Amino acid sequence: MIMSKLFKKTLLIIIVLFAVIALTTLISSGWNLYHDLTEEYKSKGTAIASSIAGSSVETLLNRDASTVQAMIDQFTEIIGVSYVFVVDAQGEIISHTFIPNVPDEILKIQTSKNVAPTDLHIRGRGDFIDISSPIVEGAVGYVHVGMDKGIIMSQLQAAMIRQIYLLSLIFIVSVAAAYVFVNRVSQPLNKLTEYSRKLAQHDFTAQVEIRSKDEVGLLADTMQSMAIELSEVFERYELALKDAIIELQNTLAYLTTVIDHMADGLLVSDIDGIITHVNPALSSMFGMRESDLMGKSCREVFGDDLAEIIQQSRRNPEAVYTTEIGLAGGRVGKAVATGIQHGYFPLEGTEKGIGSVILIRDITSEKEVDRMKTDFISTVSHELRTPLTSVKGFTEIIKKKLEEDILKLVVAHDRKSERAIKRVRDNINIILSESERLTTLIDDLLDIAKLESGKVVWKMERISINEVISRAHDATSALFDKKGLVFIRRIDESLPEFIGDRDKLIQVVINLLANAVKFTPAGTVTCSAVRRNGELLVSVIDSGIGIAEGDRASIFEKFKQAGDTLTDKPRGTGLGLPICKQIIEHHGGRIWVESETGKGSIFSFTLPLSIASPVEAAASMR
Amino acid sequence: MPKVLIVEDEPLIRLLLEQTLEGFEDHGVEVLTVDNGLDAVEMIRAERPALVLLDVMMPKMNGFEVCSFVKQQLHMNDVYIIMLTSKGQEQDKLKAIEAGTDEYITKPFSIQEVADRVAAALKIRI
Repeated sequence: MIMSKLFKKTLLIIIVLFAVIALTTLISSGWNLYHDLTEEYKSKGTAIASSIAGSSVETLLNRDASTVQAMIDQFTEIIGVSYVFVVDAQGEIISHTFIPNVPDEILKIQTSKNVAPTDLHIRGRGDFIDISSPIVEGAVGYVHVGMDKGIIMSQLQAAMIRQIYLLSLIFIVSVAAAYVFVNRVSQPLNKLTEYSRKLAQHDFTAQVEIRSKDEVGLLADTMQSMAIELSEVFERYELALKDAIIELQNTLAYLTTVIDHMADGLLVSDIDGIITHVNPALSSMFGMRESDLMGKSCREVFGDDLAEIIQQSRRNPEAVYTTEIGLAGGRVGKAVATGIQHGYFPLEGTEKGIGSVILIRDITSEKEVDRMKTDFISTVSHELRTPLTSVKGFTEIIKKKLEEDILKLVVAHDRKSERAIKRVRDNINIILSESERLTTLIDDLLDIAKLESGKVVWKMERISINEVISRAHDATSALFDKKGLVFIRRIDESLPEFIGDRDKLIQVVINLLANAVKFTPAGTVTCSAVRRNGELLVSVIDSGIGIAEGDRASIFEKFKQAGDTLTDKPRGTGLGLPICKQIIEHHGGRIWVESETGKGSIFSFTLPLSIASPVEAAASMR
Repeated sequence: MPKVLIVEDEPLIRLLLEQTLEGFEDHGVEVLTVDNGLDAVEMIRAERPALVLLDVMMPKMNGFEVCSFVKQQLHMNDVYIIMLTSKGQEQDKLKAIEAGTDEYITKPFSIQEVADRVAAALKIRI
């Protein structure tokens, strides 16, 4: 049988307690007993000694040794009396009960006149209490009685043993009682323990049978009611959990259905670029089975372009990265990658993103339409050029002939013919400038169509911004002179060379300068170039009419000139700034405008200065 | 007597170029015209013009072919060729240079520019 822990503890306490009690009782009672017995022996000895002393005066006086001997011998019969001897006044032993002779220790004390009891150790015989009594106040001699201490000790021992027996009995009885008592207390506690263990294992049907009215019974009742409540709570939560799971499954099924029925391909990759999810549209786009894609590396399956934008999106989850990707059957797709941020999945990790989601749309037909549009624009522009060349050329010839040969033949100097000459001259100039405008429009149209379709051949080389600005200014200096505007150059001479397409960038600066001149009635146009944040910042600042806030965003869109087309005269093709935007963005830069109506405008663009960046920028533009 | 050959299939442009070069006749320049590449090659071989204004897009034989044939097959390097390419057609410019042209003018051109360039090439002051 296993002892309950409670009982073990109780037993330990009982043993310790009992040992302390038993030890103190034993010591104190032993001490007392020893004292009492010693006193008893002393008085007994004294009585014997005095009785001998009283009765033996005669005998002693007569020095009748044999009588004395006989008398003292009988006293040795008394329990506790070990020896008796009589000494005379001179200290000589008259008679004694020592066999065979008087030990030396006795001889030493016999002369003592001291009558107080003396402890004495006789070698070979043990411990004694020597009690002496004077005979006739010492005149005749002394009687010495030796009480045996050994008897005291043995009596003491016997008494102690009895006491130990008694204590042991009490100990056994109390242990037994404690066992019974502790068992009675611990049994219900054990039951409760067992019960609570079952509760912990969610066995709410378990019962505990404790009917007692004490604290344990109370505890059992409380636990039982608690168990009932717990089981109810659990039941409620289980139901709620089931509902939640069903709802979750429905939501998941809904989302999965939505994803699976998307026309666009969906691809999810984890942080290592491993494919974790694809939808059927994606699988069919690439003509692969879902099982062939899952768990594979994006780079391995889809190539470097896609892997590159996935990597970029992971590094910068806020941005959207796009690339074109070849699909099965020679079709073309456009992939849009965004990083999955921590918002929904609070995970630890140093990297910001936890993966990427990529949408792929089949843009084959869009590309085809785009190509057709570009081809169309290109053909139309071509077809328009020939008649335009004729119109322009013949008008020039007419003008020349008119000025050189015909007008000087007009002799009549009346007002009517002068007015007619002025009209003809003006109108021919209008035809010329309008054909010029038409030419620019066709050129711009062709430019933008080619830029948009990526058919432009870029000549990237080391160039200096100083040269670009100088050449742009040379090309526009006639415009400045015509309007009497002042051109101010503010170029940081320490600017390094960078990689770019010289002619295209000159085109951009010409465009910005021409615009600035066009919209500035009087004042200055400033062109500045500085280095800022590792980029080249070029600004064209005019003191012209400015651009209304509502127009600022749209001026970089095609055919969106600022102002009302119904009331304002169109002053350009509406394609200049969109072309600039395309060119600057191809270089990996940005172009924007700041303006205040009536005070002027600042057109600025940036170009990356590092050598690698235009290539990278071009890659990300694809 | 220097000869200038105009090779252009579009009649109106041909007419325009002819009229542009009218003034040169006073300086003893003879202006010849053809409307296709094949005739152009024949004419160049027969007449050895000092200068050719050569259009690109033409039937039978295009301007690049004419130019490279004259310069590389016939080795007539003394014939100064000005090609008339379309503006914005980057490839055309490159092809013209590859074909060995001496110069190119982009269409639509200004007649003044054509006249100036021809004058410069023929070292004539008008």
